[in-house]
Amino acid sequence: MEADAAKLIGAGLAMLGTIGAGLGIGILVSGAVQGIARNPDASGDVQTNMILGIAFAEAVAIYCLVVALLIIFVG
Amino acid sequence: MDRPRPRIFRIPNRYLVLILLVLGFLAARIYHPVLPHIQVAPEVVFTINLPIVGTFAWTNTMTAMVIADVIMLLIAFSVRRSVRSGSLVPKGFSGAIEALIEVLYNMTESTAGKWAKKIFPWFGAITVFVLIVNWTELIPGVDTVGKIELAKEHGNPMQQVFDNVYTIMPAVDHEEVENDEGMFTLIPFVRTLSTDLNFTVALALISVTMTQVYGYQALGPGYFTKYLNFKALWNFFKNPMGIIDFGVGLLEIVSEISKILSFSFRLFGNIFAGTVLLFVIGTLVPVLAPTIFYLLEVFVGLIQAFVFGMLTMVFMSQAMMGHGDH
Repeated sequence: MEADAAKLIGAGLAMLGTIGAGLGIGILVSGAVQGIARNPDASGDVQTNMILGIAFAEAVAIYCLVVALLIIFVG
Repeated sequence: MDRPRPRIFRIPNRYLVLILLVLGFLAARIYHPVLPHIQVAPEVVFTINLPIVGTFAWTNTMTAMVIADVIMLLIAFSVRRSVRSGSLVPKGFSGAIEALIEVLYNMTESTAGKWAKKIFPWFGAITVFVLIVNWTELIPGVDTVGKIELAKEHGNPMQQVFDNVYTIMPAVDHEEVENDEGMFTLIPFVRTLSTDLNFTVALALISVTMTQVYGYQALGPGYFTKYLNFKALWNFFKNPMGIIDFGVGLLEIVSEISKILSFSFRLFGNIFAGTVLLFVIGTLVPVLAPTIFYLLEVFVGLIQAFVFGMLTMVFMSQAMMGHGDH
């Protein structure tokens, strides 16, 4: 197999890690929405913490993307 | 039909948008966009020979940094005048900046409590600077206007538009570019600063180092018992789990290093992927589709700047409070 073909396959496989991020963010937002439904007055606090948690969960997906981009564009 | 319609240069905005759409469509038909050469490292625009340092390469991200600095100084000086005038309710742009600062400061106070005044400058400065840097990628001309050089790898033929203004055209025949000699590529003058790993890693290092410094200032040398938990070790005979607590303390050092990596790669990955996405969509569907992705990039840039600053603030306040408070 040539290096170019292996690079593309590797980049495609690296992106499978985003499944975890999608699941994580879904669970997180579900908890946040339930919290807001229970206590609408705290919605500002809950929303801020939810955005923080989403950034953490999404960072893992971004690591996968960075690995895929590094595979394609650098060596 | 009574309200004044918004207009620039005495033309209502909707006609201006229509004219620009038609011009954009014509420009995309005549000079079809070409996928630029994408690389992780920023491209060198020119090199200078300095006496002690040697060869200094000025990259296109450094130009973006200077532009972001100038924008931030302009914002600061324009707010300074209304702060100096002493009115309690500033109007216009200064009012907007005051609202932003108030939102950020309230967040800092609710998380950090009494340390808010020390932590807030870091939160505010990092958020505003990274926000300006992220939104620079949306200005037309960034990543597209540059100088044309001979390509080392795959290039494209170039075509003259005006005097001294050239553009890169897509390759017409596949047989022509077989030998890849004499083909050109574009080096942009300005490239988004957040796509430069130097910037994101440097900012992450500053953030994590200042967290440790503030932790030491707040708790004294006892701050380092978070990492080297000798108290749990001396209590080994009372509580055999002390060895594990000591190990957990050592793992905190690893966690700090992973924070550096996580900060830098989160910002880099989001913005770099955003610019690659804009390039690719701009090449495939140049006429209307980039608008949606520009909106996505506005949102992503805002969120990533806010998250960088807010995580810095949360880690600083956690370091200053120590673990004994809960």
